[in-house]
Amino acid sequence: MIIGENIHKSFGDLEVLKGIDLHVKPQEVVVLVGVSGSGKSTLLRCFNFLEEMNSGTITIDGHTIDPKKDKLPDIRAEVGMVFQHFNLFPHKTVLENVIEAPIIVKKMDKAKAKQLGLALLEKVGLGDKADVYPSKLSGGQKQRVAIARALAMEPKVLLFDEPTSALDPELVGEVLQVMKQLAEEGMTMVVVTHEMKFAKEVADRVIMLDKGVIIESADPKTFFENPQNERTKQFIQLVE
Amino acid sequence: MESIRTIFDIFITTYPGFLDAVIITLQLTAISVVLGTVLGIAFALMKISKSKILQGIANLYITVIRGTPLLVQIMFLYFGITQIVVLDNFWAGALALGVHNGAYIAEIFRGAIQGIDRGQTEASRALGMTNNQLMRRIVFPQALRRSIPPLGNQFIITLKDSSLVWMIGVAELFSVANRAAASSFKQFETFIVVGFYYLVLVMIFTYIVRWYENRLDVDKV
Repeated sequence: MIIGENIHKSFGDLEVLKGIDLHVKPQEVVVLVGVSGSGKSTLLRCFNFLEEMNSGTITIDGHTIDPKKDKLPDIRAEVGMVFQHFNLFPHKTVLENVIEAPIIVKKMDKAKAKQLGLALLEKVGLGDKADVYPSKLSGGQKQRVAIARALAMEPKVLLFDEPTSALDPELVGEVLQVMKQLAEEGMTMVVVTHEMKFAKEVADRVIMLDKGVIIESADPKTFFENPQNERTKQFIQLVE
Repeated sequence: MESIRTIFDIFITTYPGFLDAVIITLQLTAISVVLGTVLGIAFALMKISKSKILQGIANLYITVIRGTPLLVQIMFLYFGITQIVVLDNFWAGALALGVHNGAYIAEIFRGAIQGIDRGQTEASRALGMTNNQLMRRIVFPQALRRSIPPLGNQFIITLKDSSLVWMIGVAELFSVANRAAASSFKQFETFIVVGFYYLVLVMIFTYIVRWYENRLDVDKV
């Protein structure tokens, strides 16, 4: 579905990603873990070209993207992203947030977009909040709107960049619940998170990044019970 | 006591002339606010554009305007431009005030645009919006709301600064007051009266801006 090959990325002298290969299969849920600064968010941002790679290729659905020839907005429209800080549009209502991109980018008919938007809000449990502004929502509600907004573009893959890190502990569950539901429905997902419970329960594969390289990649059971790399062992001890 | 009576008398005798002058002051303000806003948007866009040439032009304009007194600009424009085109002193004054305002308004808009959180543009990009789309739909509407309070402030400054065009003989409020003061020999009392006029105008203006801010619900951003 989405394949990253030999991804290199540096910020100035600091090499953050040192040749990452990551193949995500259709309907697969991949969880990226690692200490902060390991490059997991940067890797995620390379997948939708929010970060410009120094070298390497991204292939989506069999098409290897050439950033010079392909129009990046068209590529990004196929890859949804959910951010740590939600980044909802504060001047638009919840429903307007969700249907903005379908109308503007996909030129979807307004009535049709509204129908889609309301259905998605219903899906994330916020059907009754369509007409309020984001400032009136809790963090967990905001993030669920952000997920609905990403889904509205009917992406081939969804990227989650620490979606629960900015939430109060009691609000984490409702967001993870929605993500779990998406995984069960067969959405292809790449998730950067510190929620090990989510990784254990939902992931098909857990990948450990350390200093810009993948040091462990296994199904959750093997990853948590029988890790091969010394640093992965330390990391698991640290977070549990 | 005597003085207060004189102030009142002057108020009564001057108000027909002063009211005509208030109209001129308001016209000057309105024209220069509109012109300044148009120039401000244009130069703010130039400043945030990727073109070094456009940035350079905008920087030059803003530096020159902010670095020289308004009075010098009024005189420069009046004596400069009337040599090239036929322009009466009212329009020369309005033009000078507008060009002056444009530089400050450009900085207000630029600050508001650049003050929008990066997450907003990233989220828009991630949804597949082009630069134009995200500017038009996401960044500008938010920046505009944030600009309202400083813009209101700038408009009030313009209203008061419009008094400077008395130097080129525009019959606005200050210039009419100045004449009345000279002919009545009651300078002190006359300028108290004209000060009162400006104060009331500014208060009305402030009220309108505040009402508009509330209506837009600036807190939403």
